[in-house]
This record gives sequence, C-alpha cells and structure tokens, in this order.
Amino acid sequence: MGTDLWGTTAIVGVGETDYVRGSDRHVCDLILDAAMEAITDAGLKPADINGIIPPPGYMSAEEIAAHLGVPDVAYHVSVLMGGASPTASLQTAAMAIAGGLADNVLVCMGWNGYSALRPKPDARPTKRVMNLGPMGETVRNHYAPYGLMSAAQHYSLYLRRYVDTFGIPEDAAAAVAIACRNHAQLNSKALMRGTPLSRADYDAAPFIAEPLRKFDCCVETDCATAVVVTSLGRARDLVHPAVVYLGGAEGHPEPADEIANRANLLELGIHRAAPRAFARAGVAPHDIDVLEIYDCFTYVVLLQLEALGYAEPGGAPAFVADGNIELGGRFPLNTHGGLLSQGHCWGLNHVVEATRQLRGTADAQVTDAELALVTGYGDLGDGSVAILGRDR
Amino acid sequence: MSTYVPTPEWIVLDWHHACIAAELLCIQRCVGCGRWRHPPRRFCPACQSDRTTFEPVTGSGSVLSFAVSHRSLDPGWQTHAPYATLLVELNEGPRLLAATTTPPGEIRIGQRLAMRTEALSEHFVLVWADPASHDEPTSMAPRARGNPHD
Repeated sequence: MGTDLWGTTAIVGVGETDYVRGSDRHVCDLILDAAMEAITDAGLKPADINGIIPPPGYMSAEEIAAHLGVPDVAYHVSVLMGGASPTASLQTAAMAIAGGLADNVLVCMGWNGYSALRPKPDARPTKRVMNLGPMGETVRNHYAPYGLMSAAQHYSLYLRRYVDTFGIPEDAAAAVAIACRNHAQLNSKALMRGTPLSRADYDAAPFIAEPLRKFDCCVETDCATAVVVTSLGRARDLVHPAVVYLGGAEGHPEPADEIANRANLLELGIHRAAPRAFARAGVAPHDIDVLEIYDCFTYVVLLQLEALGYAEPGGAPAFVADGNIELGGRFPLNTHGGLLSQGHCWGLNHVVEATRQLRGTADAQVTDAELALVTGYGDLGDGSVAILGRDR
Repeated sequence: MSTYVPTPEWIVLDWHHACIAAELLCIQRCVGCGRWRHPPRRFCPACQSDRTTFEPVTGSGSVLSFAVSHRSLDPGWQTHAPYATLLVELNEGPRLLAATTTPPGEIRIGQRLAMRTEALSEHFVLVWADPASHDEPTSMAPRARGNPHD
C-alpha cells in the first residue's frame, strides 16, 4: 500500500488571494476566488475536479462544487485539526487519488480571520464561522472560564514549561519573528511587506500571554488559498513542473482534546507525525532545502524544529541563530513571511509557497530548491507534515 | 473574574454537581481500579470500566505550568490583567486548571498549592489555587467562599 501512495501524486495548481486586514469581500468569495485560481493555474477546468476537501468551517464541499460548477463530486471529506488541517489534507487527497476514488482533488482554505472580530461598518454581514471541532468543548468548559480564550493563552500553558525547562532565550523567538518579517519584505502579497521589524521593535512590544510578546504572534488576516492535487502521471501532462507529494503524516498528542493531562506537556502531535513523514518520504531532515513551518507563534516554531529533528530538545535556539533560517542560510524558513508576516491562512499558504519554491517561481526563491518540508499545527497541539519535492 | 460562566453538559456537568454538593473539590475515580482521572471520561483508560464516582480529593497539588495573560477577551478577566492561570497537578495525579489570587511574579513551577472551589452557578464551579502555607499536603479545610478579587 505504502509504495503505491507516497510519491505518486503531485500539486499542480495553486491559488491565493491578497492577505488583508478588513476585506470588503464576503468570506465565501475569498474561498471561491482562490479555488478558481488554483484550478486555472493547473490548466484545468472545474469539470476536471472530482474531489473536494473544504475548509474547516465556512463553506461545505457541496456549496463549493455548486458555485464553481463542479458537476460530479466523487469524493469529499472534511479534516478538522485546526491549523494542521490543510497540510494533513494533502495526505487525504493523495489517498483518494492513489485509491482511485478521485482524479483531481481541490483543497481549499479561507476565512475572515481579521474581520470576524472587527468587521468594517459597511462589510457584508456573515454568519459563517470556523468549525472548532474537538477543541470547542474543552475551551468552553475548562479554559475560557479561567480567562484562557485565545490560542496564545492556551499554548502558553506548555510554552511556559518549554521556556522554563530549557532556559529558552527571547533571542531565539526574536530570530524567528525577524526572519519571517525579512522574508515578507520580498513577498508581493505579504501583509507586512513594507513594515520591517527590528530587534528593538520586538523587545519593546508588550506581552500578550507570556512568553509570547506581540511579535511572537501571527497576524490575523482575511484571505484564502487553494491547491489542486492529481496523480503524478497526469501532472506530467499539465502546464507547471509537477511538485511531488513524497510523504506526509499527521499526529496527535495524548490526550488530544485537552492539554493538562498529557504525560509530557512538550510531546505534541508533530513529535509523532515527523518520524512517520520522513520514513514515508524516504528522506532525512538535513536533505531538506526549504522549511515552511507553521508559525502561529514563534516558540511553536522552535518546538517543531526540535520535533522534526533539526535540534535536540531545547536546542532550537542554536539552530535559528546566525542567519541559518534566513534566505541565503542553510535552512531558509517561511520564505513567504509565514503566518507571522505574510498572513494567516491556516498553513495552506505554506503549501502554496513550498510549491512555488519547487517550481522555481517564488518571490524569495531559494536557489536550486529540490525538497521542501511543510508543517501544520492546530487545535490544542495536533500536527501534520508534508514533504514535497521536484519531479526528477 | 470571569464574565463568562458556561453551563456544561453530560459527564462534565456531573463533575460540577459533585463539587457543588460536597462543597469540596471532587475528582472522578474509577470504581474498577481506583484510578483518579480528569477531565471526566466515560471509560477508564487502564481497565476500561465505565463505573465511576466523584470523590473529594486532598485539595493539595503543585504548579506544573502556568499562563500569564496580559490581555483577555473576557471583560471580567481583562480588569485583572496581568493575571495567572495555573496548571495544577493534584497529589492524586490528575491535573486541572485553576484560577489564583497570587500575583504572576510570585508563581514558580513546582510551588505547592491548596485548592478550593467556588460555585458560580448551580451548574458550574471555578477551582482556585494559591500557595500552601507549608509544604505538607493539607486537608481540604472549608474556607471562606467568594472571589477575593471582588
């Protein structure tokens, strides 16, 4: 089974709206714009799509099909892992294709991440919301009454433990924030293009939930992205060089639906997903040329780098130092600016960027990029990994 | 303190009702093997029994980790920012979140705590934890209820 799945599908189309704070567009328009762009980018038509993985909330696969004009949906599924959903969706798409259930699968993400809480006075009203999935009950019953309502606050429960256990310095988090902001200066769609970040800016910013300062937190945006996945055979007949899905995995902490009773607060879903993904792709961490790491928060990037094997536990600060993760460094990280500085599209923007890097068409292109690694991270610590490569 | 007070359902509601009836912190316990567990679950992960009771615990524990929030979406909590929320490991093993009156700067991982409960409604108790006066586990002496912040 495994040999029929990994390396037999490819990303052939990408779509991406602008990343804005306060869109005039309805959230459904954002999702459909990105979806149609991805289909067109692949050189396909909506009638060629017969598999759909919709966002976690906002729009159903049925609605998306009807609005795009997809006549025959042979397979759909919703993936509910918060920010780990889009990257995990790639493995679901690949399974559907390798199993013969669908030919061309559309994976969509989009939301009104900024406007949901702060709509413009003249914005078109919407009742569309994200599907909180498994974490909703825990947050409503066990966290919110204690004053912990936002992801920054929930994650700070284990990030505090991480910082205290290993003595993680703010220098490391600042290096991640500044690398992402530097890369955003080169990305044509990044929300924070034109707004550089200095270490003095970082240090002067207030805490949100310790250890997270303002610039450790990603930027809430209104945006949408989409990708089209197909078989490697069909991909070779399409317009762009195929970007091969070499391997991927998901993982969940135990228990996944709450944080407090995990035997090790610092063992998250990504710790389980990472070894599976590398084994399936048949590559090692140091083979990777570009890292697109889910960066809801800087410290979460550090934890993931350790889980992926780029450093020992507590060792990420040395890995992110000295320009190693900057464009031109050994492991350029979040070359589009990431959630921290391009915008927050639940990590499907990371998949879009990895695809462009491997096509050789990224705004901040890594020279001769052949292998890219993408992570997703969501809910209360679920993780997903996708390893993508140039067709050889 | 929290403006938001949920009305839980199912076995989470059973837990709150047990704490309210006992006027003490209670925790779910497996009748099959005696293990304590939290939050409430249907089946024991060790012996798969679904027979449970809610029993009072010593009310002693220690700080495993904590969050310090400098802003809150909840208007009640916002007036107390910055405030700490403790992740407590009870002497009995299970862990849970607790509110605290202790200023964030005085909290340390490993610190010993004494817990108490405050009913915010007929269906919801909030758990409070503050540093224990000495390092020995203390019995859960009834203490004045009410929110010291208000």
